[in-house]
Amino acid sequence: MSANNKEELNKVAAGSQTKHSSSTSDDTAQQKQQQPPAPSTQPKQIPAKPSPPSATAAASAATTTTPPPPKPSLASPPAKTQPEPPPFEKGLVEQLKSKFGDMVKVVFIKPLRIKIQVEPQDIVGVASFLRDSMGFDHAESVAGTDYPKDNQIEVVYHLGSYSREELAAHILWLTARTNKDDARLPTLINIYKSVEYHERECYEMLGVYFEGHPRNERFLLPEDWADIPPLRKDFRIKGR
Amino acid sequence: MTSIEEKFEESKRLGLQIVKESAEEDRLMTLSVGPQHPGSGHFRFVIKLDGDYIVYCDPDPGYVHRGEEKMCEYRNVIQNIPHLERPVIHDSANITYSYSLAVEELVGIEVPRRGQFIRAIASELNRQVYTLYWLAIYGIFLGHSTMFMWPTGDREVIIDLLEALTGARVTHAYNIPGGVRNDMPEGFRDRCLSQIRYLQKRFKEYEDIFYNNPLFRQRTEGVAVLSKEDAIKLGVTGSVVRASSVPFDVRKAEPYDIYNEIDFKVQYMKTGDCFARSYVPLLDMQESCYIIEQLLDKMPASGEVRAKLQPNPKGPPGESYRRVESGRGALGYYIVSDGTPKPYRVKISVGSFRNMLALPFLLVGQRLADMPAVYWSLNYWPVEADR
Amino acid sequence: MASHPQDFRFGGFVVSLIWLIFWILVIVALVGLPLIFIILFYVPLPEVDGEVLTPYLFLTSILYPQSAIPVIETLLDTTLFKVAVFPGFTYAALIAAATIFIERKFLAKMQLRVGPLYAGKIEGILQLLADGLKLLSKEIIIPSGSDKLIFWAAPIAFVATAAAVVALIPAAPGWVVADIDVGLLAVFAILGFFPLIALLFSWASNSKYPFIGGLRALHQLIAFEIPFILSALSVVILSGTLNLTEVVESQIQSYWFIFFLPISAFVFYISSLAELERIPFDLPEAEAEIVAGWLTETSGMIYGLLQLGSYIKTYALAALFVILFLGGWAGPQIFPAEIIPESTEAVIPVGELYEQTDANAVFWFTLKTFGVIMLMLLPRGISPRIRIDILLHTGWYKLIVLAFINMFVALALIYGGVLGPGGLLVR
Repeated sequence: MSANNKEELNKVAAGSQTKHSSSTSDDTAQQKQQQPPAPSTQPKQIPAKPSPPSATAAASAATTTTPPPPKPSLASPPAKTQPEPPPFEKGLVEQLKSKFGDMVKVVFIKPLRIKIQVEPQDIVGVASFLRDSMGFDHAESVAGTDYPKDNQIEVVYHLGSYSREELAAHILWLTARTNKDDARLPTLINIYKSVEYHERECYEMLGVYFEGHPRNERFLLPEDWADIPPLRKDFRIKGR
Repeated sequence: MTSIEEKFEESKRLGLQIVKESAEEDRLMTLSVGPQHPGSGHFRFVIKLDGDYIVYCDPDPGYVHRGEEKMCEYRNVIQNIPHLERPVIHDSANITYSYSLAVEELVGIEVPRRGQFIRAIASELNRQVYTLYWLAIYGIFLGHSTMFMWPTGDREVIIDLLEALTGARVTHAYNIPGGVRNDMPEGFRDRCLSQIRYLQKRFKEYEDIFYNNPLFRQRTEGVAVLSKEDAIKLGVTGSVVRASSVPFDVRKAEPYDIYNEIDFKVQYMKTGDCFARSYVPLLDMQESCYIIEQLLDKMPASGEVRAKLQPNPKGPPGESYRRVESGRGALGYYIVSDGTPKPYRVKISVGSFRNMLALPFLLVGQRLADMPAVYWSLNYWPVEADR
Repeated sequence: MASHPQDFRFGGFVVSLIWLIFWILVIVALVGLPLIFIILFYVPLPEVDGEVLTPYLFLTSILYPQSAIPVIETLLDTTLFKVAVFPGFTYAALIAAATIFIERKFLAKMQLRVGPLYAGKIEGILQLLADGLKLLSKEIIIPSGSDKLIFWAAPIAFVATAAAVVALIPAAPGWVVADIDVGLLAVFAILGFFPLIALLFSWASNSKYPFIGGLRALHQLIAFEIPFILSALSVVILSGTLNLTEVVESQIQSYWFIFFLPISAFVFYISSLAELERIPFDLPEAEAEIVAGWLTETSGMIYGLLQLGSYIKTYALAALFVILFLGGWAGPQIFPAEIIPESTEAVIPVGELYEQTDANAVFWFTLKTFGVIMLMLLPRGISPRIRIDILLHTGWYKLIVLAFINMFVALALIYGGVLGPGGLLVR
């Protein structure tokens, strides 16, 4: 194991997939004797050890139909000039553009992060396509940002994927901008159930009304909150 | 502005209406498992009971809402660290790790290699601290007072290690954008390894007294099963989704810092019931022990631990979203910067807030006696969900 | 705001002294003297050595201490002594107090901690005293809308019922408060009061969590009374009597019943854990689900009374287990015949108060009771809480079947002539 250590110390921290598969066999042998004993009662129902790491090694093995994506480490600093977008992310964006054309505006494509902007009325259609055809099956979070200079509020949906192996590291940012004076957006709760509480928090913190959401109500703020939505830039913390 | 005020009035009226409706239904009993309850933490959820079965559940967080996201806009990126680690005081290395990664991407800082290793060691140690505390409370929720005392006592072992490493026990503000604050003390490596071995022995004892206890198994096996499709649809994260046979771990899916050099398995279980959700964190802790051993082996013997920063670090305008695997699940930070030293918008996406969605989904149809078992198995930390 | 103390005035001091003497005289005249006359007229005074114990005799015993010994012996025989001191309330309360302390220390050692440490010089031995004083000094908060009469009466009834069970337990031959021929049946009848008290108290609390806790207590206590009685029935079959003293006598004549009835002993043990609402059966007070169950609204001394009653019940059921299955006070004679040799010629023959058989009986009984109590404390460190449907399933299906099995074994032993009058194993 020490020889391996020295090898790995000398390699640059750029990440390479071969290390995973080569050291997997070593470590499973070492870890087998350290694995906890399986619970003795009812062993047939619950496996104490998970099934062999097919899920984790599938990324490195070329068994998937789509080309295996590179997994660059994000420790290197982003270049100052706009780099060439990575090919896999570009492929995803091409897929979107081929379906929706000009409705989808690409803001940027970075390694593992894609940001697209749509109009509020198109957001439901784009989201369903993302969920059904492209495999982004859950929304990690919903954030709203107040841009008083443009008099707009931007709502960002961070979409991730659990079911597709190659998309596990990617986060797609689906954003929509709405006018600040009458902030309304259609809700994505029928497509992504996981946005229910996030949209409610966005409503109370920024004042964005999600049409179709069953409960646009206070969530984190107290019931007797009598001020403007706190995450707006007009709201100043007292004393600062 | 008037439309906003109208909408807030309407929401206030809606909230009161739900309370009034429940009083009119005679058959159902409304219980407020509220903040003044030994089984709920800083959190309230209203349940309605039909006899012994729960028919409705409505979470009501916000009792410890502090406005973390708003406060971040008033301080520069280094000043944000101490208050950002307060949502989860036990897991403070992870909640600031994610923030540091996002800020480093925005500002353009490169963390020295030794600093990356120490950051990962602190993260793993904090994960164990948090999970042991979670396990202790899980024991006491089921009435097992020994399972409350043992993990709390064993947690002291790791907290002593963290105190030697960082100077403080729980909220240590150790991770900063650029690395860690100070280097490891002498003799830390051997001490850490011996404590890790002690913990691994204790995990076997936990299995004997708790996980193999027939009473515990009767109470948690088959209770509140979350199927794989539901788990993906609801977007839960962390040990909850790994217990429903989705082997997703941010450290494996999107390795950050030096996690692509560490070899470990993603522990997951297929049943998705309360027992699986309570057992996966123990398996995670055992994997964490192996990771710490590898980290200590592979660490460079000397080097810088933090990058030199300008007094008010700022970067070009941009946005970044980074996530780490914390004790509760994927903890993500979405930071928007407009070129000034203070962030323009910080959004924290915590695992507890996402797992909260599974609570009403799972509790409906369970007995009242299963309520603490189900609620706490969702790895929910009330303070973190409120931020 | 500290004010300076008032100046001392001698006249005020004299006035307060006179007030004190006045009130003492009033109370003695109006209350004390009639009380003495009532006692002298109506209470039959005991006979000591052929003479009635008049106050004159009582006062002369101060001058002649040797005449105090027969007085003390007479006192030891009275019912009042048995009720108040041994084997009655004081004995039970002392054992209950020792149980609480031992429980805390025992659990602490199991859980890798120390338990009470600071109150008292040796390992926190005065912790109970401190807790008792604390409970006495706390404010008793009665929830509005509650039924005040039941709210006050239920804890007292709880302690009284527990004490009533203690009254039936013989600790040594001849030392029992109430020697009834149907003693065992009386124990079960009194035990049937407890679910009623729990339910009344939870209803009187006018709150949701006590309501749920009271219903759970009702389910649990009633469900486990049946295996409880069935397991004790096997003992009745073997010994042929319901009188608790005679049950012990029959065990002294043959062997301890636990060797013949192990399954019944096990069922009795589990049922007594359920009757005592101890972990793993503490769902009427499940902390994480229903705050404190039917004890939620108790505070101060009401809580203290309920805890006292609970631990006295623990002693009572453990003592019952010892009497029914472990031979009561039977044990090898380890005490000498006379504690002070040739004590009858001494000036103050204190040694005459000592009885060899009684001392031996008390010693073995207490030892065995403590052993059973420790066994009852043990599951608290090992198990989580059970759920109501698992509890009822266990109580109604499994324990009743097991109790019946052992009952058939007992019947076979009796009819086979192994036990019972003239049996093979009867010495």
